[in-house]
Amino acid sequence: MKYTYVIKRILYSLFVFAVVITLNFFIPRIGVDDPAERYYPPQGNMSEIEYEIIKQVTRQQYGFHVSTGQQYMNYLKGLFQGDLGTSFRPGSPAVIDLILERLPWTLVLSVSTMLIGVTIGILFGVLAAVKRGRWQDTMLLNASTIMVALPAFFIALILSFYLGFELEIFPAYTDSTMVSGFTWTWEGIRRVAQNAALPVLSMVVGSIISYAQGTRNAVIAVTNEDFVLTARAKGLKQSTIRYKHILRNSMLPIVTSLGMSISGLIGGQVVIEQVFNWNGMGTLFLEANNSNDYPLMMGIMLLLSGFTIFAILVTDLVYVLLDPRVTVGDKR
Amino acid sequence: MRTKQPMHKRFQRGLVKRIKNTGLFIKRLWSHKQGKVGLILVSFLILVAIFAPIIAPYNPYDVSERTTKGLAPSAKHLLGTTINTGQDIFSMLVYGTRVSLIVGVTSGVCIAFVGSVFGVMAGYLGGFVDTLIMRIVDIMLVIPTLPLVIVLTNVLGRDFWIIILIFVALGWTGLARTIRSLVLVLKNSNYVKAAELAGASRWHVMIRHILPGTSHLVIMSTALSSAGIMVAEAGLSFLGLGDPTAISWGKMLADAQSGGALLFGAWWWILAPGIGIFLAVFSFMRLGIVMEEIANPRMKQTSSVYKIFKSLDGSYIEDVFNSMDDDQKLGIPETARQGGKTHGTHLEA
Repeated sequence: MKYTYVIKRILYSLFVFAVVITLNFFIPRIGVDDPAERYYPPQGNMSEIEYEIIKQVTRQQYGFHVSTGQQYMNYLKGLFQGDLGTSFRPGSPAVIDLILERLPWTLVLSVSTMLIGVTIGILFGVLAAVKRGRWQDTMLLNASTIMVALPAFFIALILSFYLGFELEIFPAYTDSTMVSGFTWTWEGIRRVAQNAALPVLSMVVGSIISYAQGTRNAVIAVTNEDFVLTARAKGLKQSTIRYKHILRNSMLPIVTSLGMSISGLIGGQVVIEQVFNWNGMGTLFLEANNSNDYPLMMGIMLLLSGFTIFAILVTDLVYVLLDPRVTVGDKR
Repeated sequence: MRTKQPMHKRFQRGLVKRIKNTGLFIKRLWSHKQGKVGLILVSFLILVAIFAPIIAPYNPYDVSERTTKGLAPSAKHLLGTTINTGQDIFSMLVYGTRVSLIVGVTSGVCIAFVGSVFGVMAGYLGGFVDTLIMRIVDIMLVIPTLPLVIVLTNVLGRDFWIIILIFVALGWTGLARTIRSLVLVLKNSNYVKAAELAGASRWHVMIRHILPGTSHLVIMSTALSSAGIMVAEAGLSFLGLGDPTAISWGKMLADAQSGGALLFGAWWWILAPGIGIFLAVFSFMRLGIVMEEIANPRMKQTSSVYKIFKSLDGSYIEDVFNSMDDDQKLGIPETARQGGKTHGTHLEA
């Protein structure tokens, strides 16, 4: 019974992934007959013959000389071998290498944002839920309203202005030697932390509040469940009910949502990385966009989407394993 | 069965009723403390957007009206001038309202329309339509939004209307899912069953019975997705990927950063567009929340406020919505439920 569900979920994830791959393949080809035109748009000072030659070379180089169907098959074949394509940059580096080079730097920001956000957010959320309707709760609500209306990049600019330029506590821009001169020493790690402080700080405020809001709602939802009433009726101590019955059960949705949120975090981090000139995947994506480097852009998109699909799949399977009430055939 | 009145008369009556209802709605918004704040702010922004050429002392689009670069705030230039081009920042701020409001509100309305149509169809028709729509929603859920928007603007162009189109195409999924789960509840309610038994067609039931039942969500989502799109548009313009010809708040921030506002301590250049974004988003959100409370008075006040926050793409609304039981989804307050009323609408979660 459970196994059928597990297999079904895995197959469904593969189906979604296949559709995403197909979209990834076709999006750069929207609106042009010849992908070479997209990859190498005509320049103003170029004669027709010159452009034709360049297109010819581009086609050969990126495999556009075969039919679209054949290109798609080649793309799939490449993906199976872990090849996300070749970047349009000089020297034609492999997309996967470019991404792997930047990925750790992006993860430094997103993972630390998430860890700080979750820890403090859960504390605040539980506090607000326990003091439901009191000033702690109202304050969280007001903070949420304000934070949703304040874009993270605005906070980032203000922080970079005040803490970076005026008070000079933290570097306002990422030190360019941070990456090239990185060593696994205390000194190296300290420098990364120093440079990461402002980007993390500008994202963490929103992150704390959203986790707090999520925790608060989850805790209140569990508080209204029947088993809590039963526990009260049995005459258990208030603290026992609070920590053993309510908190434990409300943590499950929070913890499982972490996997999904990290990919969204990386996607949204593009703007923050741009503000601080952080050497991560977000800036890589923007660089790719500015130079019309489609293989690189689509490679990053595919990686992020694949990660989300995987996270959702794991979340679902963990739910089945942990929660006996999730029945077979339950649609997501 | 009532005898049918002539078409124009029915139309007239409907119109009068609608205008009266709208008047009543605004009156109730006005008498709500939070609603008043939202209403005043939103009308203020709309007025600023419409009368931008009158309010703004200079035309920021006009190259000949540029002056000395990098002036500090003074009586002549309320918020100073930009360091790189010498444009009047206050005028840019005023004109920026137009871009934000047009993009936000247009996308918000379109998203509400598309989302509710697809949501109602998926929920009520079920079967193949449901599967198809929900598969699309599932797929759009896993693709990171901001990168996808960037890729699409790269491929399709950065024209004003194309950007709105992209926002609508990517924004409807959250609302559609939420509405679908509400429709699944409504579908089993007695009045819908009665209509079906009386021989009403599927379209009639959808338009006359199901759709009105989802109106509070649609109204709220219009305001909230408008607010969300404003933030997204600001982000896109900040990255330099918005409409290159338009002056928007996001682009002002980008100019401020690249133009050295941070370096020269021109804090007003950063603060002004930021406050603009904040005001617009905040007031639309306030309005949305209050409108939902008024449209659905049975909903408990706190629960309706809380279920909205966090992300504005609707996914969070959906999480909370799915965690509610059927009575809560219909907006029946807890007190009535404890009174032992049963509503007989039990579905799989």
